[in-house]
Amino acid sequence: MIRLADITIKQGGFELTGIELELSSGKYGVLMGRSGCGKTTLLEAICGLRKIDQGKIILGDRDVTNLPPAERGVGYVPQDRALFPTQSVREQLAFALVLRSLGQSEISRRVEELAELLGLDELLDRLPDKLSGGEAQRVALGRALAHKPSVLCLDEPLSALDEELHDEMCQLLEHVNGQTGVTVLHITHSPSEAKRLAGCHYHLVDGKIHHDV
Amino acid sequence: MKDKESVVFRVASDKPFLIGMGILGGSYLLIIVSMVMADLFFLNYIDQSVLGNEMIRQGRHVESGVVVPTEKGRRYFFRAGKNETGLRQVDGSLLGTGLFTADSDEVAIVSSEEGKPVTASLRPEVRLKNFAITNNVATLTTDEPHGLLWGEYIRVSSSDVVGWDGVREITETTADQLSFKLDEGADLAGTLRLSKPNPLVQALRSRDIRFSIKLSLISCTLTTLFSLWIAVPIGYVMSRFQFRGKAVIDTILDIPIVLPPLVVGLSLLILFRYMPDWLSDAVVYKWPAVVLAQFMVACAFAVRTMRVTFDQIPQRFEQVALTLGCNRNKAFWRVIMPQAKGGLLAAGTLAWARALGEFGPILVFAGATRQKTEVLPTSAFLELQAGRTEGMLAVSLIMIAAAVVVFIVARTLGMKRIFA
Repeated sequence: MIRLADITIKQGGFELTGIELELSSGKYGVLMGRSGCGKTTLLEAICGLRKIDQGKIILGDRDVTNLPPAERGVGYVPQDRALFPTQSVREQLAFALVLRSLGQSEISRRVEELAELLGLDELLDRLPDKLSGGEAQRVALGRALAHKPSVLCLDEPLSALDEELHDEMCQLLEHVNGQTGVTVLHITHSPSEAKRLAGCHYHLVDGKIHHDV
Repeated sequence: MKDKESVVFRVASDKPFLIGMGILGGSYLLIIVSMVMADLFFLNYIDQSVLGNEMIRQGRHVESGVVVPTEKGRRYFFRAGKNETGLRQVDGSLLGTGLFTADSDEVAIVSSEEGKPVTASLRPEVRLKNFAITNNVATLTTDEPHGLLWGEYIRVSSSDVVGWDGVREITETTADQLSFKLDEGADLAGTLRLSKPNPLVQALRSRDIRFSIKLSLISCTLTTLFSLWIAVPIGYVMSRFQFRGKAVIDTILDIPIVLPPLVVGLSLLILFRYMPDWLSDAVVYKWPAVVLAQFMVACAFAVRTMRVTFDQIPQRFEQVALTLGCNRNKAFWRVIMPQAKGGLLAAGTLAWARALGEFGPILVFAGATRQKTEVLPTSAFLELQAGRTEGMLAVSLIMIAAAVVVFIVARTLGMKRIFA
């Protein structure tokens, strides 16, 4: 579950006030809005990467408002994917697991599981600069899912893909959502993407969130 | 009348633009390469004869040329100056710069224009008169003053006995005598030849210069390590965090770059007047002063490089790492530093090269004491002061070689990172 209660974020001249949002567990939420309206800011706030001035963020049954990003249990896929350039696909998928000091066998089991889920088996030893757009997107997704977060935050994950890949990735995202039961919050500009994926549909307009059923 | 529509629009050629850029860039490249090549060419790599005193009386040229008495059968070294065309022997042959054997009792220097001052030089090759061995030390007497100094090196070759051959350090000199140590069991030699080894050999043999090479390599490496140690955190903080007074700190960090190097040295010297005695005794005019003087300047360059490096790594990487379970510390070491390796290498190379060339602050703050605070630029300076251009050049070549080696190593490591 994602619940935002009366969130206020001020930054320079930019301001979001009184943001309310509720997305129940396992649902696929899509957040739309015009460029610069604060969608990414809101996503970063959920991940703990941006300070909020007021309000509460509740993920699952925990109030994470004052927790560092590492302890919130979120998976984050930024718009530019930000794959670590010096690490192979395998290392990226294992990154969160190594930090949690899991055993070697458990890590490799989980990496294989993710590789199978996302179709990355052939790519495990590649570096990010040898990946295509779609492949990079799947790796970023896998890296964010590795530590089994309860919430997955996707910032325009499909914007840089061509038509065919776009469709494939939509299927994959649905599949991931269904398989893992992770709550997804997905930012996009594309109404068709929203229509296709959204279980819940939100619009951010003039600093307020409208919920379409 | 022509139809306006049919006039084809033509854009001016790019040739002048490209050629202009090529010429400007090319001439700079040419100067860089020829500068280094000039050093390499100027140095005389062949052993030189030991020469006696100047034989030409300075004055003005007269019509018949300047006549100089010579000893038949003896070898002389002639160098034509800018007012001479050469040297005429009795048989009529005209000689240019170089060694020759006199074939009569006199030679004449041929002037290029009458009434001009003499600028040529003629010096006899020194011959050995006799030698003696006491306690394995050979003392040679020459028939002309040899001009060699204590601590210089001489190449001795002997065709018939063992224990003499090799480059030997002169342990004692007078105007026409010089002593050096022989190998164990050396015997009286029949024929001996003396020559001056080339300046590079002289420099590499010299204890002072060996010390300065060692001190330079050690101090530059220490400086580089300290600089990176400081530059990485400063560069990271300046790149990632916004805080009050950042602009002021930024300016302060640039002070060592904009300040004249001599002033840096002087400021350090004065600063250490206010330090406790034990500290200033341990640093000033000692080797730590060399490292500190190098560090003050080199570190500023390393900081700049590291800051640019971190600026070029988007914050996104850390943000993702934070959501995956890192704290800032882990995100820095696991995600950012591996990407900053290239920048780290660049900063290290830059700091090393700066430190190697540092001279002014070291001279002021550490002094130029042989075998104590002498680094390679100091050696070059001392050689120049002693009037030995060739020695200075030899030291410069050693510095060029050191810099080239470091750059090649850095590039190779950098390549590995890129192509791995």
